[in-house]
Amino acid sequence: MLGLPAELTPEFLARLEHLRVKTRREYAGMGKGAHLSPKRGSSLEFSDFRHYAVGDDFRYIDWGLYGRTDKLYIKLFKEEEDLLTYIFLDASASMAYPAGDHKFESAVAIALALAYVSLASGDRVMIRVLAGEGERLATSLVYGRYRIVELARRLAAVKPGGQLDLVPALVRELVTIKRAGKVFIISDYLMMLNSVTTGLGLFGAAAMDVTAIQVLGGREISGQGIDGNVELVDAESGERVRVSMGSRSRQQYHETLVRLSREIKSFCFKRGLNYTLYTTDRGFHDFFLRAAAELGLVH
Amino acid sequence: MGLLYPSALVFFALVPALLIAYLVRERPARVMVSSVLAFRALRGLKGERPWGMPQLDWLFLIEVVILSLAVLAMAQPYVVRKRKPLAVVMDNSAAMQAKTPSGSSRFEVASTRLAAMLSAEPPDAEISLYVTAPQPHRVGEPFDGPARARSALGRVIVTDAPDQRDAVGRLLTDLAASGSFSEVIFASCHPVNGSVQSNVRTITVSDPVPNYAIGSFRLRREGFGAAALRARLKLANFTSQNRTLKVVLNGDGKQLATADAEVEARGVMSMEFPQVAPATIYRAELQPTDDFPLDNLAFATAAAVKAVEVLFVSPVPTDATSLSSLPGVKLRVQSPENYSPADAETADVTIFEYTVPKELPAGNALLVMPPAGDPVFNFAIRPANGIQIASWQRPDPLTDEVNFRLLELNRGEFFDLHPWMESIVSGNGGGLLLAGTRQGHRYVAAGFNPFPFLGKQNLPMSVLTLNMLSYLAGLGADSVGYRTGEPWLVPAGVEKIILPSGASVAVKPGTLFTAATQQGIYQLVDASGERRPRATMLGDLAESDLDLATPVTMQVPSEKRGTPIFTADIPLTVYVIAAMLFLAAVEGLIAYRRRRRSLGMDL
Repeated sequence: MLGLPAELTPEFLARLEHLRVKTRREYAGMGKGAHLSPKRGSSLEFSDFRHYAVGDDFRYIDWGLYGRTDKLYIKLFKEEEDLLTYIFLDASASMAYPAGDHKFESAVAIALALAYVSLASGDRVMIRVLAGEGERLATSLVYGRYRIVELARRLAAVKPGGQLDLVPALVRELVTIKRAGKVFIISDYLMMLNSVTTGLGLFGAAAMDVTAIQVLGGREISGQGIDGNVELVDAESGERVRVSMGSRSRQQYHETLVRLSREIKSFCFKRGLNYTLYTTDRGFHDFFLRAAAELGLVH
Repeated sequence: MGLLYPSALVFFALVPALLIAYLVRERPARVMVSSVLAFRALRGLKGERPWGMPQLDWLFLIEVVILSLAVLAMAQPYVVRKRKPLAVVMDNSAAMQAKTPSGSSRFEVASTRLAAMLSAEPPDAEISLYVTAPQPHRVGEPFDGPARARSALGRVIVTDAPDQRDAVGRLLTDLAASGSFSEVIFASCHPVNGSVQSNVRTITVSDPVPNYAIGSFRLRREGFGAAALRARLKLANFTSQNRTLKVVLNGDGKQLATADAEVEARGVMSMEFPQVAPATIYRAELQPTDDFPLDNLAFATAAAVKAVEVLFVSPVPTDATSLSSLPGVKLRVQSPENYSPADAETADVTIFEYTVPKELPAGNALLVMPPAGDPVFNFAIRPANGIQIASWQRPDPLTDEVNFRLLELNRGEFFDLHPWMESIVSGNGGGLLLAGTRQGHRYVAAGFNPFPFLGKQNLPMSVLTLNMLSYLAGLGADSVGYRTGEPWLVPAGVEKIILPSGASVAVKPGTLFTAATQQGIYQLVDASGERRPRATMLGDLAESDLDLATPVTMQVPSEKRGTPIFTADIPLTVYVIAAMLFLAAVEGLIAYRRRRRSLGMDL
């Protein structure tokens, strides 16, 4: 329907309407919105006092304070603005494997669901694709829930491919961002741990509120389908590794992969970043709604 | 262990070929994965092989073993096992029936001792069992182990036939010198002397047994055409004292005569019963009895009881007139034109006078003055006048009791040398009487015609004619009786023979009957059910002499053999093939399980 992924059913979109993106900080937006902004504004959220100056609106004079101090103070309130949401989607070749696990398709669905949550909340969304083949998707900040169709159509044209070096890629994206906001980075994170931590740390240092979403295949995480003597080829680097895969080695592989995810999660916890893991053998709707808090969403 | 075809081991060169094929086949499958990051740790587990060689797994090892076994099976491996082949020769001749002082027969004593000796042999001994009577021969195939040999020994029956000591001596010599047996055990009442080899063990049961015996029982006609017979017996006293022996002669169950005779110690004498009344079966019994009762009885049948069927084929049928006058002769006359080969099958003797058949007769035949140049016998003949008898063979059943000095022959024909017939009587110009056998039948060719001169006016010719008919029809044996163990020709028309024990044996006319191992009366039954009795008796005084055990003499072996090594090759090919099949099944099972595990796991 409307070119949206199969996961984004009308019922699911209706449930997404009740969610909104939560940030741990206040970010200045580009227009009126529902998120508190560090700017002074006219919201009901008290911010500060200042001395009355000629021309100030009498309505904001704190008369109680005048009675106690015999001085005129004006009450200042926070501004409520929209949130700038940046979604970075890993479309490198590793997202295409294992083929049967549909990692990239799941990542696209997650990205669109997050985008819809933001758009439905009146926020602005920008989706950037890291690596990938075909048309390079680098949208500007879009506004309005109807833009989800356009985003879906443009994401549908993206095919996973190429090699992703996460840190330089994120650096390149970071320098183009003029305003801080919420950042979602969707990837399988199957790369060296220091690349992951450095990449995520960049956005943290830039005062961004980051949520790392790791997407792994169901069979990928269990190591199924690889048996006996096999030559494994890295989808991105082309590196080849020969292994004899048996039940013991499969278990060891699984433990290695789980440990890698656990270390990323630990890093995010220490840095105050959100982290969640989605394996494609789980139900998408169930995951998204249950992991809303971990995704940085609230009802 | 050895290999029957060691050259087949060259096929072991296939193992490297299998290895190459395996390496080609087992090149690891290439699988694209999202990242090899988590797999790198596994490389330390089972590691890559140098030069990218795949790891050899159980399937390959099993296949190498199967191939190796296949090559081994082609080479036909065997293991060499030591064996102990034994030859056991058991004397089952009539003398073994004699009772020993213990009350058991010699045969029973020998069997017991032999069985005890076999029990001491190893269980895997291979034992060949031989018996000596009626002719030395092996009983069945060699037996595996003493138990089976003892069982077979228990089934050996002592016969009424005398043993053939010379043949037994040759058998022992051959067995001992053949190199096929580690030991030869001979159980007999006869000791062994001569060139006794070290691998011959003997069990001798030769306690002296005082014995009286009837050596022979013969019936003869008193004269041509006379119905009365003359019986003649030979008696022997194998004791150390002179004894008076009594003979009771019965005919068809009735006592016909008795006679006593004083026989010297270890002496032999004859006793005659003249004018014995005609009967079918005659039985002579010697008294007193002793520990070897077999030779105290003798049997005989009258030669005239059953007429000899003679088919006379001649263009001059009147020549057969004199034949019909012979007692005991049943004559059929036929012209050569009406003769067919089937006619000869139903006659005891077929006489061809002045003619020859177009094919070899299927029965005994007398050819009287045959024409020259026939394709069957191919006689070379020269006419003869004023014939003078020059020589004759003696002893010979054809010339027995013929006074050739008085034989008058006016004219006839001489035979030149014949390819397969032997000259029995020769004249001054060649053979006059030829005899030979072909296809189990006897043939006699006469260069003179005896039939016009039969009768008392030419007694030698009559005797010669009777000899010829007796030889061809077995009359000569009839008159002296048959001996146990000796085979005889089955007469024409006889379809079965009833043994003295009552057992019935189907027979074919003209063939040798070899089952005459029991003393007594054999009933020869023809197609019409008519029975013709035939007497068979031991009639061997050498066998009856139980006082002095005649030794069996072993000969010096014809060739000297080295010390044989007795081994048996046990083939292992079957076991190798079984192992191959088992491993193939294991491989199939492993492959099946692997295939099931990898189903649907393609990335």
